[in-house]
Amino acid sequence: MKTFVCIKYVPDTSEAEVKVNADGTSVDSSRFSFDINDADNYAVEEAVQIQEKHGGTVTVLSIGPKESEVMIRMAMAKGCDNAIRVEDGRIASFDPLMVAKVLAAAIKGQEFDLVLTGCMAADDGQMATGVALAEELGVPHAAMVKKVEILDGKVRAHRELEGGLLEVVELTLPAVLTIQTGINEPRYAPIRGIRAAQKKELKVVNLDDLGLPASEVDAGASKIVLEKLYIPEVVSSAEFIEGEPEEKAEKLASILVKGGLV
Amino acid sequence: MSTENLTFTEKFDLLGCIQCGRCTGGCPVTVRTNLNVRRFVYDAYHEEKLEELAKLAEIWDCTACHTCAVRCPKGLKPLEVLLGLRSMLVDSGKVQASVRNALESVYLEGNPWEKPKATRYDWMEGLDVKIAEPDTPVENLFFVCCTIAYDPRVQVIAKNLVRLLNQAGVNYGFIAEGESCCGSEVFTLGEELLFEEIVENNTEFLNEFKAGRIVALSPHCFTTFKDRYPDLNKPVIHYTQLLAELLEQGKLSWKDGLPKKIVFHDPCYLGKQSGVFDEPRRLLRSIDGAELVEFERSRERSLCCEGGGGKMWVESESKKERLAETRIKDAHDLGAQIVAVACPFCVLTLEDAMKSLGYEEEMRVAEMMELLGELV
Repeated sequence: MKTFVCIKYVPDTSEAEVKVNADGTSVDSSRFSFDINDADNYAVEEAVQIQEKHGGTVTVLSIGPKESEVMIRMAMAKGCDNAIRVEDGRIASFDPLMVAKVLAAAIKGQEFDLVLTGCMAADDGQMATGVALAEELGVPHAAMVKKVEILDGKVRAHRELEGGLLEVVELTLPAVLTIQTGINEPRYAPIRGIRAAQKKELKVVNLDDLGLPASEVDAGASKIVLEKLYIPEVVSSAEFIEGEPEEKAEKLASILVKGGLV
Repeated sequence: MSTENLTFTEKFDLLGCIQCGRCTGGCPVTVRTNLNVRRFVYDAYHEEKLEELAKLAEIWDCTACHTCAVRCPKGLKPLEVLLGLRSMLVDSGKVQASVRNALESVYLEGNPWEKPKATRYDWMEGLDVKIAEPDTPVENLFFVCCTIAYDPRVQVIAKNLVRLLNQAGVNYGFIAEGESCCGSEVFTLGEELLFEEIVENNTEFLNEFKAGRIVALSPHCFTTFKDRYPDLNKPVIHYTQLLAELLEQGKLSWKDGLPKKIVFHDPCYLGKQSGVFDEPRRLLRSIDGAELVEFERSRERSLCCEGGGGKMWVESESKKERLAETRIKDAHDLGAQIVAVACPFCVLTLEDAMKSLGYEEEMRVAEMMELLGELV
């Protein structure tokens, strides 16, 4: 099995105060911590487990700054064999379709059986890159995968659907799977492994190296125009119903009826 | 000396063990878990058994309180055998998610609480804190523990200390850039190589400061710097030692009394591991009206709260009474109105136990600096 696993370096905004910069289209990230995107961490673990069970190699692929190399080395410490980091300021990285084109350009021309991505990025939550990547590569895909079974020339993917349904599909390899969190328990990247990973190959490339004209993946090529970022306004319209239980019930029922809710 | 190429037996001096049982006889967690450290010391001699031993859940029950090391007549540290087994598991990457997250957070952000580096100094906001610069000589260089820096419940320790230091006219400085985890819990969670890196980086960083001494806010940082940083170029003390000095010099005065029955809980890392027993008691006695009572198990025999040894990130499987609950019940029986402690972990574990026992109306768990801060 030759597997690619695509990972993204994202800020942890779970508790952080998010502030929009003066330009109105970017976020002040100076007080954030950055790490591998949560779902991508599960994709790395799944790729390593597949390799442990079926042999082969795992290549980490990421578009990101030099600082993201710590995350790439940690993935290699867990068992991935080598890595490609794409860095190019011209990429319209806010547009998943442009990102997918760049990832596809890095994979095309190489042999592969499986490409794993996380199902969603914690920063923009678009859930689109993996699926778009499959389209760019011209291979089948399954999204939000919670269980992977490698068969002869095929992969059986158990995917999570709306309403708690699970769909089991078989795809001919090569294929792209976007991995849902909870599929496995990602391992720890020990310092011993991180040190050993310093010896593994990490190739840094730009669009020119990939032979991809910038005009195909830059802001001009994107159909998305990022006009403005803003923090949603918090509004409150709670109404407290006072009175004895019977009165409260009557008032509540009247509100529900008037509002067309019953 | 590098221990990288020693066998397990050589590294932990297993052949020095005479199987006397002093370790197990003093181990506080044996009342609630199956941990038998003497058995581990015995079995670990068989190298072929190590992998199997590393898989036993009991190795995560140890709180690194060091009672076994204090009691060992041969000067061995039985608990470190358990930490060595944890290391094997950590090196395989197969540790529980909470441990993984804590260790990765130390590696990436310099604290085990998954908080950004950049917000480490937010606790200083609104305070007149003197900041230490490497080139400016300072008598007391303060080192704030990760837990105190980030956890809103215990930030009060650092905040009150700043107010007290300013009032007492102490020559001091806090670090406002580059402060990073001391590695105490990294060591006890078994991530040896990360701990080595931390020691190397922190030693280089702290040695650059022209300071008379380092004053640690947490007993965990204090003991770790003192015992596991061989190349640190300045002495390290705990803040209660500095305050006891100031008290002696007549530089501390309390604006109010505190007519309460107070029992002091000796933190393992301050007391039995570092021999600081009297300074916190002296400070409490200096408060008008304070009546200091003692636990039956105090000083070297103090009962561990189970907050050390990485246990903040590892839940014991045992459903039996937590040691912190036993401790709070003992305090309640003594009629103590305040359980005073001098460690952020003890505050968190003991307060949790007090709440779960429903004693909130009758007693209070407070860090020394909380009590003293209310009196300046």
